[in-house]
Amino acid sequence: MRPEPAVSDGYLVARARDGYLDAYEMLVQRHSAMAYRVALRLCGDHHDAQDIAQESFIVAWQRLDRFREDSSFSTWLYQIVTRRALNKITRGRVTDLVDLLDESAADPGAEPAVQTEQNLKADAVSDALAALPFPQRAVVVLHHFEGLSYAEVAEVTRSSVPAVRSHLYRARRTLGKRLEEWR
Amino acid sequence: MTGPVGEPPDDRQSIRELLDAASLPCGAEVDALFEQVADGHATDLDEHQRDCVHCQAALTELALLWAPVSDTAAAAVPAPAGMTAAVMSQIRVLVRDVWYTLQTTDMGVIRIAARIVAALARDTARSVPGVRVALGRSTHSQLAALAEKATFAHRHPQAAVGVLGRTAVVDLAVAVQYGEPVHEVARTIQQQVITSLRDSIGLQTVNVNVTVDDVITDEDQA
Repeated sequence: MRPEPAVSDGYLVARARDGYLDAYEMLVQRHSAMAYRVALRLCGDHHDAQDIAQESFIVAWQRLDRFREDSSFSTWLYQIVTRRALNKITRGRVTDLVDLLDESAADPGAEPAVQTEQNLKADAVSDALAALPFPQRAVVVLHHFEGLSYAEVAEVTRSSVPAVRSHLYRARRTLGKRLEEWR
Repeated sequence: MTGPVGEPPDDRQSIRELLDAASLPCGAEVDALFEQVADGHATDLDEHQRDCVHCQAALTELALLWAPVSDTAAAAVPAPAGMTAAVMSQIRVLVRDVWYTLQTTDMGVIRIAARIVAALARDTARSVPGVRVALGRSTHSQLAALAEKATFAHRHPQAAVGVLGRTAVVDLAVAVQYGEPVHEVARTIQQQVITSLRDSIGLQTVNVNVTVDDVITDEDQA
């Protein structure tokens, strides 16, 4: 079968609303890495992240009629994933911190010693991220890891640009202090 | 947070002082410099920074400090294998499409789920030249209320693949390549899907409704 060409998220959302599950399947394929990655960086646990990502897609499907067509599906999904991650964390479950770097995604060209150092650095970043209060962690993940603009982060977190900026200021200083030894 | 730091930072203690300071002796705000570094603009110096030893030293230190975060952010994190399948199987349980084709043979009964009929129709449609995306629907009308309850307001409650015995009605939404003769592509889809479903599933009567609702250019696929 030929590779699927690019159709817009909006087109797929509209078809999914019409009852075409295929369309929703394409949306899940398109955004599953993002949902898992954000969940992993917010909660630090592979299994929880997988649960959060899967639940988020099911919730999104159930609420597809509430999705505003003038907004972006990915922003909406970021919102759902972030909220579910917060719920999972505040339910008091113990989260084992794991590498943010997946073994299979490691650069195969890197020397073993370099890889180890990269993993240690990633561990340090992961630990430093996990130690941040959730709102600060969320803005760091969304802005610095996912590349969302301040306005997009504000939309996802239902906050304001000044609030996002203020959380980022504090988060960077805290992260910086924790990462001193890696200078 | 303290006041301005006295000297450009040059060791671990001074980086801590830098992170505790509101501004540098030159008046530059530490938060603004850190933002500049974290957003990847450490080397984009403004007019003041080009002549300021404090700013240059601080930007260098902050860039070193932030490097592990940038490296980690740049690392690929793929989705776990099978995640899409896991999500879709849960959604299919919610929709609970229980319609089947039904054929009675000497040896018993053969049932094929309506969603399989939809998938075959979709895959056949995708193989027609000029078709870029084809989606098959598998929610039967009599289940629309259930689907609506479990999911969302259904726009076309009469829609989908209706399968009754050896008769089927298939809905396909397709996007075609720009420049292709749309009517011809749609007719070919109908003919090929009908042939395919008759041959592979043994359906006697097949109606194929084709909706062409998007046109894709080469630029869309770039």
